[in-house]
Amino acid sequence: MHIEIEELAKEFGPERALHPVSLAIPSGALIALLGPSGSGKTTLLRILGGLEFPTSGRVLFDGSDATGLTVQERRAGFVFQSYALFRHMTVFENIAYGLRARKRRERPTEAEIGRRVNRLLDLIQLPDIGARYPSQLSGGQRQRVALARALAIEPRMLLLDEPFGALDAKVRKELRGGLRHIHDTTGLTTIFVTHDQEEAMELADLVVVMSMGRIEQVGKPADIRARPANDFVRDFTAA
Amino acid sequence: MSDITFIRAESVTTEPRLARGLLIGGTMALIAVLLFAPLIAVFAEALRDGWAASLDALASPDARSAIRLTLIVAAIAVPLNAVFGIAAAWAITKFDFRGKAFLITLIDLPFSVSPVVAGLALVLLFGVNSSLGGWLVANDLKIVFAFPGIVLATMFVTFPFVARELIPVMIEQGRAEEEAALTLGASGWRAFFTVTLPNIRWALLYGVLLCNARAMGEFGAVAVISGKIRGETTTMPIMIEMFYNEYLSVAAFSLAGVLALLALVTLTLKSLLEWRHADVLAATRRH
Amino acid sequence: MRASIFRSPSPLPGFGLSFGIVMTVLSIVVLLPIGALLGRGLMIGPGDLWGMVNSRRIWSALSLSFRAALIASVFNLVFGIVLAWVLVRYRFWGRRLVDAAVDLPFALPTAVAGISLTALYAPNGVLGQALAPLGIKVAYTELGIWMALVFIGLPFVVRTVQPVIEELDREVEEVSATLGARRAYTLRRVVLPTLAPAALTGFALALARSVGEYGSVIFIAGNIPNLTEIAPLLIVIRLEEYNYDAAAAIGIAMLLISFAMLLAINLIQVWSRRRIGLV
Repeated sequence: MHIEIEELAKEFGPERALHPVSLAIPSGALIALLGPSGSGKTTLLRILGGLEFPTSGRVLFDGSDATGLTVQERRAGFVFQSYALFRHMTVFENIAYGLRARKRRERPTEAEIGRRVNRLLDLIQLPDIGARYPSQLSGGQRQRVALARALAIEPRMLLLDEPFGALDAKVRKELRGGLRHIHDTTGLTTIFVTHDQEEAMELADLVVVMSMGRIEQVGKPADIRARPANDFVRDFTAA
Repeated sequence: MSDITFIRAESVTTEPRLARGLLIGGTMALIAVLLFAPLIAVFAEALRDGWAASLDALASPDARSAIRLTLIVAAIAVPLNAVFGIAAAWAITKFDFRGKAFLITLIDLPFSVSPVVAGLALVLLFGVNSSLGGWLVANDLKIVFAFPGIVLATMFVTFPFVARELIPVMIEQGRAEEEAALTLGASGWRAFFTVTLPNIRWALLYGVLLCNARAMGEFGAVAVISGKIRGETTTMPIMIEMFYNEYLSVAAFSLAGVLALLALVTLTLKSLLEWRHADVLAATRRH
Repeated sequence: MRASIFRSPSPLPGFGLSFGIVMTVLSIVVLLPIGALLGRGLMIGPGDLWGMVNSRRIWSALSLSFRAALIASVFNLVFGIVLAWVLVRYRFWGRRLVDAAVDLPFALPTAVAGISLTALYAPNGVLGQALAPLGIKVAYTELGIWMALVFIGLPFVVRTVQPVIEELDREVEEVSATLGARRAYTLRRVVLPTLAPAALTGFALALARSVGEYGSVIFIAGNIPNLTEIAPLLIVIRLEEYNYDAAAAIGIAMLLISFAMLLAINLIQVWSRRRIGLV
């Protein structure tokens, strides 16, 4: 699904989190929104997911105006920085949640739900943890469960907010590979937010460098390194 | 820009406006009936025959002695429970020993015992036909149907209040400051008065406030142990019952009105403490 | 210095004094009286105790106290959760006032509550008159006992649930929406289970308080034996007859009920801590 962002702006009272920004995201791409804190990258992600409403501008999914769609209608798989797993449910129940929350007519049978959950557990390479509770998992495992849970609803796109933020370096490297693998397997348009330029450059097909609510540059990692648009981009993406 | 109607909520983590409005309206209506109506009724009934009648009733000898007795009982029971609460909190939070959880359960015991059962237990312990009671009679000491009994009954029911407020706060504050004071040469008492006490003063005040409100209002336990001897062992709540049963409605409700005013003062002070010292008192909410 | 097995040594002084005060006062005020009650029961003997309790009037009184407490507490459970939610999540005029007023039943003496509730619900009272055309009699019936116990138990669930709602992670609600759940589903499957342990604790506290309640109930109850007579009143009646044994028997029965509830409360907290890490 390709995404178009047209003159999207967001104000929180007197504060301008996003100056009008425009962006075209090709279908199936793995995109990084890269920038320091306060650059507006998380705001942009949340607007895409329907968790915030823009002050002006439009969002288009496959050419049709999606600005007015509710969160539920968007089918955007969202992975939070803190993962936000449901503490009182097992891993299985967490992943199955989106499927069970559907209206009766659209809900798969329990058997089918079981099949899908197990397939996802295999995809994230944690086939045996279905009966455990989030409190019994490590940080890296929780991140993968959050990913599986988002994938279970067969989303149109995947949105991740600082997906590797809270983890140590070794785990981060493993999970980066995992995310790439999942993206390549599912072919989903995937957008992740990060302040870590190494991560963005290594993982993404396209990097969107942001600062203070504006998009400074969009391009392939190699291109951005070779031809930074301005000093900020050059300094921020220095290896 | 999405179209916000009454049915759709303006934020993902809240309910639609219509639902919110209904919930607020419904709960407030129930609160008005369940909480505010009884409160208003007290004053309405007290002033039924006008201010003069109400004040006259309060000036009667029975009413005055009831007020005096209530005040004296509270003046003794509350400080004693406060001292106990401080001692308990000190022992529990500054030291590690076995059986702490059990001790805390014992301290909480009065909360789960019916006040009438409390009074009954005291009567059985100190009453004439127990061994202790016999000894008391022989030495001309009266506890049951007398002032000391009322103090003990009041202490029983208000026992946990101060301790329960202090313990979470002191746990949260830790031992480091007192230990630091010791390394600087302070004695235990000095450390307590100059370091601990200032840190816990708001929680202490809060606990004393609650303890006092309960102490002045206690009915069941005092009803059993006091013998309801008019003018001698009738606290305000007991006197309210007696007036009420004698159909002296204005007198009963006037006395009740005084206690209701006390309740309002308690609530106001309590809220003030909570708003201005939320950080300290927040610890007590979590336990 | 020999380290005692009982407690680990500590640089802070005052253990002896504070612990001594605690044990002394605790014993005199709480433990000895309870002990005297239980001791009386032992003197009577379990067989005779049972014989005394096993009368229709006492069973009626005990079951009335427990039943009315249960009904009132269930109401307070539901209403308490809703009220806590409204007070924490919504903004409206008078919110702070109502939030402070929720503690009124804690602060107001039970006898005061008792007579004013009776005045309200009596046939000639404001609410009594409003309900009469609907054929509902409250004062001097079991319904009146329910109303009194609802008043008494109101703050318990609200106050235990409020802090949990305040600390709820909004992201969990957001993620539920992104997974396609409607608001009602989110509230039911994600929010409510998180509140459950605190709500149950509050429910058990309200129940424990209501079972033994005396002052706010005896005015509105009617106090007819086998019908609207609560257990604590029966104890008072036996005491006035100087029938200490019978009073002790009922008192012990009530004590056992109280202990059972204390146990239930502790078990709920242990279970929830293990399950979710929340109380």
